[in-house]
Amino acid sequence: MMSQRRGIHLDQSELLCKKGCGFYGNTGWQGLCSKCWREENQREKQKQIQEDWALAERLQREEEEAYASRHQKTQSQPAVTPFSKFEERKTKEKSSKVNTVTKFFSPSIKTPPKKDAAPFDPHSSPSPSSSASRPSVDSDHATREFIDFLKPLKSGREVFKQCRAFTESMVYKREMGADELSECVQDFYQNLSERLQTQFKGSSDQVETVMDEVEKYMMTRLYKEVFCPETTDDEKKDLAIQKRIRALHWVTIEMLCVPVDEEIPEVSDSVVKAITDVIEMDSKRVPKAKLGCITRCSKHIFNAIKVSKKEAASADDFLPTLIYIVLKANPPRLQSNIQYITRFCNPSRLMTGEDGYYFTNLCCAVAFIEKLDGQSLNLTSEEFELYMSGQASPHWPQSAGASSSSPGSAALTQVHKGLDLLTGLGERQERVMEKARQLESDLIDWTDEVEQKVQSVLESFTPEAQNPAAATAGGTAPAPSGASAIDSDNVENELLPPPLQPQVFAG
Amino acid sequence: MSAMRVDAKVVMLGKESVGKTSLVERYVHHRFLVGPYQNTIGAAFVAKPIQVGDKVITLGIWDTAGSERYEAMSRIYYRGARAAIVCYDLTDSSSFERARFWVKELQNCEEHCKIYLCGTKSDLILGDKNLRQIDYHDTQDFAEEIGAQHFETSSKTGNNVDELFQKVAEDYNNAAFQYMTEEKGVDLGLKKDSYFYSCCHNN
Repeated sequence: MMSQRRGIHLDQSELLCKKGCGFYGNTGWQGLCSKCWREENQREKQKQIQEDWALAERLQREEEEAYASRHQKTQSQPAVTPFSKFEERKTKEKSSKVNTVTKFFSPSIKTPPKKDAAPFDPHSSPSPSSSASRPSVDSDHATREFIDFLKPLKSGREVFKQCRAFTESMVYKREMGADELSECVQDFYQNLSERLQTQFKGSSDQVETVMDEVEKYMMTRLYKEVFCPETTDDEKKDLAIQKRIRALHWVTIEMLCVPVDEEIPEVSDSVVKAITDVIEMDSKRVPKAKLGCITRCSKHIFNAIKVSKKEAASADDFLPTLIYIVLKANPPRLQSNIQYITRFCNPSRLMTGEDGYYFTNLCCAVAFIEKLDGQSLNLTSEEFELYMSGQASPHWPQSAGASSSSPGSAALTQVHKGLDLLTGLGERQERVMEKARQLESDLIDWTDEVEQKVQSVLESFTPEAQNPAAATAGGTAPAPSGASAIDSDNVENELLPPPLQPQVFAG
Repeated sequence: MSAMRVDAKVVMLGKESVGKTSLVERYVHHRFLVGPYQNTIGAAFVAKPIQVGDKVITLGIWDTAGSERYEAMSRIYYRGARAAIVCYDLTDSSSFERARFWVKELQNCEEHCKIYLCGTKSDLILGDKNLRQIDYHDTQDFAEEIGAQHFETSSKTGNNVDELFQKVAEDYNNAAFQYMTEEKGVDLGLKKDSYFYSCCHNN
């Protein structure tokens, strides 16, 4: 299995299925044909499942050891790995605070079998992201965090059991449509929060906090299964919108009536940050974290508008700017992310809160970009077609004919301004160079002049008057040539006694 | 860090520059802003707690873009809204035509959304009666016809602004318990079956 994975370098012989069945292979299937791949994949999946169970057992053992160590703190544990020592320390810390929950979670760590051979095979996933390539580590981490969060809670054990059971059951529902999966998860959220409210008598804020953690835990573990699932056409939509945004590269700030002035450094800084945040959304796993990226992006947009307009932004300013940011950023897997958030986010947050507001705006921006036509950019449909087909660009209005109006020429003037600036800079540099050359020759002339003067002074004065004259010359011009001339002509030197020579003494 | 919990979503609808943002600004910050002095970062979304009887209701007030180019998307905005404040400029008859458009949209798409008609800039009319282009009684009739509440407000003086939002909160509070159960229309018995008890076999 591992040797086949290295088949990235493709030569002629590798075009055929590696099993030698005579059919053509596919690099996406590790060089196998579809039939052999299915067989192979089945085996890998089995192996993956076994490994997952092994991991689950190991985790459980570690938890139990950590638990046991709490009761025998003095006893040494040679078999424990460094990690479980850490775990043990953590548990010790916890145990001082928690007295009601003792052995709640120890027998309960199990990891559900993961789909496909994802961690072993980064080539097969449609668009691998850094976080997606190590799901088991992330899942373990999420599980631990979740447990730590629930430990001090009265109903923690119950909540964890339900979440784990539900998460595991979801794995077997892989064949379900995305909408059904979404319904399952949403029902689960609703059920759980109702139970928390009624049975465990939590305040609505507490319930909210617990539900956030539940979402985090479940979605981190289910991400691989439910993000852009094969049963939907999310991926196709992703590509469509990506292509669409690329085709719209010519849209300018002016066409969208975006009230930001990117020449102000703080504004362009905010714009860059907004773009970074909306792109970052794809790297998060938890719907809430994804929403957080959108909200941060929106806050930067508001800042950009505020600085440009010097007044608070309204939705009339915000939406066009968001559209502009999305066009500039072309965020990866945009539709998949939107669908994922819609399907699996806690609905109360999505429908009413601040995150929900910004998310709705993002949905609007995407809808606008999809439906965008000439009219919505104040262009005639002919212009729009020309721009879309790449036959003309608003940046070169000549080719678009005489009709090109403000939007293109604005960009053009900006280019012209830039060019003018560059020519100006060139000229100034030339001038600077010229001046520098002049200065150089001036300096040379000057030293010569000084030298000459010194010479003439030396010639015209008697040796007695030489010293003060030299001093004045040296004072005005500390040129080395002048100084050495004075030194070499110093007649008094000859009158001095010879320098002392070191002598060797016998003692 | 976590944002304020919001009970009800309220959307502001209305043509550009009828004063949606000013209305929210006046209500939330009790001020009317003219010129470049502003220190809020943006008034597009506000969560505002309101005392209703012995309860506190938090309204999430959503500002929307009023430009016609975004008309097609307005449906995304008011999805799930409990109340919609449809604004029109008392001195601009075209803004009222747009308001009628949103009312129709809301009636078609959001049956649970209560509609509040709000004529803005009433201070202008106080100054000069001839500026009024929308007759009060005509609007009142229209409001009754569609089962909506009708207010005329001034964000500059603050006239009627608090009353409008207070009414929104009160109506929500009165109606809240009715919607709670019928909102999703899910079969509770079925859910319990499939996700809480049937999964015990995994343990």
